[in-house]
Amino acid sequence: MPLYEPVLCKRIPTPPWGEISDRKLVTYQQYVETGGYKSLDKALQMQPKEVVDIVKAAELRGRGGAGFPAGVKWSFLPPEDGKPRYLAINADESEPGTFKDRMLIDFDPHIVIEGIAICMHACRLDTSYFFLRGEYHHQREVMEHAIREAYDHRIFGPGSKLGKINDRWPQLYLHRGAGAYICGEETGLLEALEGKRGWPRIKPPFPAVAGAFGRPTIINNVETLACVTPIIEHGADWFKSMGVPPPAGSAPGTPASFGPKLYGVSGHVNRPGVYEDELGVKLSDLIEGLCCGIRGGRKFKAAIPGGISMGVLSADEYEAVLDFDVGRKHNCLGLGTAGVIVMDEGTDMVAVARNIARFFAHESCGQCTHCREGTNWMYRMLTRIETGEGTTRDLDLLLELSGSMGMMPGNNICGLSDGANWAIRTIVNKFFDEFETRVTRERGVSLAVVS
Amino acid sequence: MAWITKNSVAPIERRNEPYLSDELKRKLTDEVLTRYPTRRAATMPVLHALQEEHGWLPAQAIEEAAAFLEVSSAETMDTASFYEEYWLKPKGKYVIWVCQSLSCELLGHQRLIDALRNKLGIEVGETTPDGKFTLVTAECLGSCGSGPCALFNEKLHENLTVENLDRILDSLA
Ligand SMILES: Cc1cc2nc3c(=O)[nH]c(=O)nc-3n(C[C@H](O)[C@H](O)[C@H](O)COP(=O)(O)O)c2cc1C
Ligand code: SF4
Ligand code: FES
Repeated sequence: MPLYEPVLCKRIPTPPWGEISDRKLVTYQQYVETGGYKSLDKALQMQPKEVVDIVKAAELRGRGGAGFPAGVKWSFLPPEDGKPRYLAINADESEPGTFKDRMLIDFDPHIVIEGIAICMHACRLDTSYFFLRGEYHHQREVMEHAIREAYDHRIFGPGSKLGKINDRWPQLYLHRGAGAYICGEETGLLEALEGKRGWPRIKPPFPAVAGAFGRPTIINNVETLACVTPIIEHGADWFKSMGVPPPAGSAPGTPASFGPKLYGVSGHVNRPGVYEDELGVKLSDLIEGLCCGIRGGRKFKAAIPGGISMGVLSADEYEAVLDFDVGRKHNCLGLGTAGVIVMDEGTDMVAVARNIARFFAHESCGQCTHCREGTNWMYRMLTRIETGEGTTRDLDLLLELSGSMGMMPGNNICGLSDGANWAIRTIVNKFFDEFETRVTRERGVSLAVVS
Repeated sequence: MAWITKNSVAPIERRNEPYLSDELKRKLTDEVLTRYPTRRAATMPVLHALQEEHGWLPAQAIEEAAAFLEVSSAETMDTASFYEEYWLKPKGKYVIWVCQSLSCELLGHQRLIDALRNKLGIEVGETTPDGKFTLVTAECLGSCGSGPCALFNEKLHENLTVENLDRILDSLA
């Protein structure tokens, strides 16, 4: 069931409602003429807590990868004490396969800025840092310009229509990253913001209690904040009319998958791009519908549901429903960023695993031994297996390593290592035959357990 | 790799003229320091500004940045050496960053790298003898739907083929 009308893509031409080639930047003027900044005015009429309650009632879950409910996060903030409190907007977007935040920034930056302003009002945050990855040069120009427009129209700065927050005029600054995937991890981001290397912090304390500069800080993804704008405009029930409810029979309070979602599809499809649909679109519908099928009429082999950290779906899982529950149902890590990478029948899964291992080996921040060494071992073993020099021992060790490393097993600080773990483990397990035939040297029986 | 230690045995080359000019200091004081509650937080913008001006970050420039930020030079070096976009050695006039992450590899990024190696006569990580081009690989550039792609300095080129690569290189000649 496709969305009836676009929400986040309201002003961004997107199939089936418009043509990708017609996309262009929406200026402040055009944004306001099409109903923009009405949500902010509406929010400013409400008590901050009411706004938080609406976002909570909408069950908006974070779009940056972890799917944590935004309203719940917002309510973790301690009471105000008159000192500064921060918002960090996560626009580090470096997860391979992910390019959705970029589309929002490229074409409709004000839907994001409006969400930022609403969040600052609701959570009583006086200073915001828009953490943009270093490689987004064009996006930096667009965002800087849009921020200037927002200052010119009294969204931020002295005389802001938000009024003083914590006795300060609200500010929004752009902070440029410098090329490190790990700065997407929220506490790595905070370290970079403080001028240090992006080494994730041990939690707790959580950022909402002690974040940037030791002060309460909310960190949200670009798309999450963009969702706040229409939620305030149309209400929580409207938001919950899209998406899928919690799975039948689950405990009360189990988070559902409500609202619209941007799906960025890349790889072997005829029309790759960022599309908007309800949460819970079927992988096969996404590929055959919006993406116009697989290139050259070839067969589907595998897909990554949401950035390489999430692991892989095999041909048996072509009908997988892409909502926040996809991980539990299909033995992968989750929906992640919904950056879907599609692979056709000609794809060599050993090479895919090697590429992914290289990414994590390169991007590990080096703080935890398991992650720093483990990702490099995985890369070296997979390189050997790919060139036909791997052994069955390599394969066993690969599975052992990728089954034991991570924050969830409890031996690393951040989720990068869980991403590496899930990505490699699911690829090897779901395509075990391909790996087995490649380990040529020893012809012993593999001890690996295929789960 | 962010965590591989850099060679710190080589003596620091020094020059009399500072890298962090008074004019740049004034600009940074007015426009950047005011944004953060601590001076150290301005490390990344200060390093970006220095690199923009000088093309890379000589050790002396990093020391001057540290003095300006009122932290030890080891702390600023620590930050500068962690991030891939800070160049601790000179680079070519144009840096070509070819994306090698999954979506781009699926769409044939290797052909681009091979074509560039051939055409420029250098390996990945090297700079042409005339100092014009440096060829490096990058991880996902956030343009997976229009891969393979590469950044030429700050300009992103999407849907690259060996043919349009030639055109781009010629336009930079
Ligand atoms: C290694 C790693 C990289 C991450 N990269 C990003 C990123 O680029 N952008 C993002 O929004 N979240 C990223 N996250 C998730 C953030 O830590 C955090 O959960 C998110 O920004 C919270 O915002 P949300 O609740 O609005 O999703 C990353 C997490 C990990 C562990
Ligand atoms: S798990 Fe890896 S990336 Fe995360 S903090 Fe540890 S070493 Fe760094
Ligand atoms: S994989 Fe190359 S831009 Fe994302």
